[in-house]
Amino acid sequence: MNLFAYLSDPANWQGPDGIWNLLLQHLGYTVAAVGIAAVIAIPLGIFIGHTGRGSFLLIGLSNAARAIPTLGLLVLVVLLLGTGTGPIIGVLAILALPPILTATAAGVRGADHEAVHAARAIGMSARQVVSKVEWPLALPLVISGLRSSTLQVVATATVAAYSSGEGLGRLLITGNATRNYSEMFAGAFMVAVLAIVLDLLLGGLGWLASRHASPGRRVRPVGRMISEPTGTPLNLVG
Amino acid sequence: MNLDWAWIQRELPMIGSLLVEHIVLAVLPVLIALIVSLPLGFLVSKMRRATNIVLAFLGVIYSIPSLALFVMMPLILGTKILNPANIVVALAIYSVALLVRSVVDGLRSVSPAVKQSASAVGYGWGRRLLRIELPLAMPVIFAGLRVVTVSNIALVSVAVLVGSGALGKLFDLGFSSFFYTPIIVALILMLALSLIFDALILLIQRGTLPWLRKQPA
Amino acid sequence: MKIKQSLVGVGLGIAALLLSACGGNSNPLGEASSSQPAQSGSASAAGAPVVVGSADFTESKILAEIYSQAMKAKGVDSSTKLGIGSREIYIKALQDGSISAVPEYTGNLLLNFDANATATTAEEVEKSLPAVLPPGLKLLKSSPAVDQDVYVVTKDFSAKNGITSLEDLKKIASTSSLGGPPELEKRAYGPPGLEKIYGAKFKEFRPYAKYPPKISDLDANKIQVATFFTTDAVISEKGYVQLKDPQSMILPQNVIPLVRSDVADNANAVAALDAVQAALTTDDLVQLDKKVDSEHQDPAQVAGEWLKSKGLA
Repeated sequence: MNLFAYLSDPANWQGPDGIWNLLLQHLGYTVAAVGIAAVIAIPLGIFIGHTGRGSFLLIGLSNAARAIPTLGLLVLVVLLLGTGTGPIIGVLAILALPPILTATAAGVRGADHEAVHAARAIGMSARQVVSKVEWPLALPLVISGLRSSTLQVVATATVAAYSSGEGLGRLLITGNATRNYSEMFAGAFMVAVLAIVLDLLLGGLGWLASRHASPGRRVRPVGRMISEPTGTPLNLVG
Repeated sequence: MNLDWAWIQRELPMIGSLLVEHIVLAVLPVLIALIVSLPLGFLVSKMRRATNIVLAFLGVIYSIPSLALFVMMPLILGTKILNPANIVVALAIYSVALLVRSVVDGLRSVSPAVKQSASAVGYGWGRRLLRIELPLAMPVIFAGLRVVTVSNIALVSVAVLVGSGALGKLFDLGFSSFFYTPIIVALILMLALSLIFDALILLIQRGTLPWLRKQPA
Repeated sequence: MKIKQSLVGVGLGIAALLLSACGGNSNPLGEASSSQPAQSGSASAAGAPVVVGSADFTESKILAEIYSQAMKAKGVDSSTKLGIGSREIYIKALQDGSISAVPEYTGNLLLNFDANATATTAEEVEKSLPAVLPPGLKLLKSSPAVDQDVYVVTKDFSAKNGITSLEDLKKIASTSSLGGPPELEKRAYGPPGLEKIYGAKFKEFRPYAKYPPKISDLDANKIQVATFFTTDAVISEKGYVQLKDPQSMILPQNVIPLVRSDVADNANAVAALDAVQAALTTDDLVQLDKKVDSEHQDPAQVAGEWLKSKGLA
């Protein structure tokens, strides 16, 4: 049985149900959801990290978010609100929030204290401290949060096909229904490739940000924040 | 959205058996992963240069969405797609990927001063590992255990897309006819399981690491 | 350098994944218990257990339960395997022995094996069936109970566009979407039939594995035409307009058991099923479907209650 039969047939790549289109849908969901989440979570995270207020929210938030069965949420949303892309992206964005929020807050809060004190000492205003000192120092962690979030969304978007029929997950579901393992494998393979590529891209971005944040220092590639000094893992993957 | 209590009562046996299946599918991988990750993590932490290679390798595995892994497991294991072993092994692999990192970070967090003192007092490396380093690394490892267990409980339900999924089957049932009750029941049960197991692990941590109780949170 | 080490690790990870894809020859989607070889007619004893399979929809599951429990009441060892999948899949299961009986519908069964069948009435359909069946499979007595595929539109859409019959579809098809189960796309009474017989070619076909999204989308006018079954409660609940089929694109669908030859040779099984078929009415189907779909009762339970009410169990 040829595993790559489905992937290697060019007819399967074309058309509205083709692999290419499904891939683009999947990517679209991911970019939209992470984008929306970032727009909300980064400013909020900077605020929490800089002022120290509200940090009690964060630990509980990531633990709670990890426990949500995404399939149940998606099914509920589709039953209640119909099959539009809006509700689905909404759910994905909500799930994408916690990693970005916690990483941003941790990054800003953990910015090198000597640098922050020095900045205050020479008279920088709060906004200048944030934008010129805390943010660049926090950037590697923010990007690592974006990385976790992206993986979470790519994974959840795969499941979303169950309720909305779009994205690469459709190959998995249709393949299962028609007993075509080659099609299922095509779906799994493409999703895995997408996840790995996005992860590596963001990892590279994070590495660049690390170099920018501490030029001259030996740079450790920032992982996906699996354990923090406090021992609270931030990782969220679906 | 009213809950159909009559349905819940009627189907209690089915819900119960799905609940048990769900617990097994979620927790077994964690136990397997713990047994594998402790020695593996120790070895990895000692490798110096190769440590990053291994951690990056595990990172690639961890980035693959769980559903994709469930689908690809039959290829590696030679099983049929409905076989629960697919889920257990896939989640175990996930859990190992995360726990090895926890073990490595935990062991690395033990200060060299402590290790040197232990050696100075006469501990061999084995005794030092078991009685000094590992206990000091445990908070990080326990944190990893909590993450992994809670994640697994949610991830098992995803397998319903390939015909399995334990409590996830209730999502499928509800989605077939605008029937909210099974969906709510499954959500509540899974959240309850997450809370219970998270608390359980925390309790075990408090019990086995008494010196941490006095520390500020 | 740590970056280089990380890249090596990543490379190894990807390599491991690709290598894993090289393993495994057997089809992971094959039936887990298809170890039974295809049995020739006289090979099995009259008391061999009968496994009744069903498709994924409610009525099929209820009928399978009725068949199985009726046989049990007559002393035949029987069990069920519900929700196997679409016809293409459970016919395969029937042929390889993982199930030995399945509730079927005369018209679609005929079209499944002979897409060019010319029969149009219920009698003609039934007469044509035995000739087209693959070897090893037999049909038992049909029932007056009927459940047709039907195309529907919402009341508003029907009034606004004057659509009451499949003939009217060509007026709006090119700008409309059709929704139905995934397997409908290639079936003779699906889009191909609509185009050939009624000249209606839809802008797109949207597959729906489940009813709720299809119902939501129809109500929201995201799709304009959808298929259901005549016994579905949702049609009357929502007041959908069932489109007439003057050219008989959709054949009469009487309920009929499709079984392996050895089951047909089992006198007790046949007696049980014949009695069920004689007692079953279309109204029974409507009521039973409603109990499971709207009242969320258990198919096995309602099957048992129906059999008791008819004195068959």
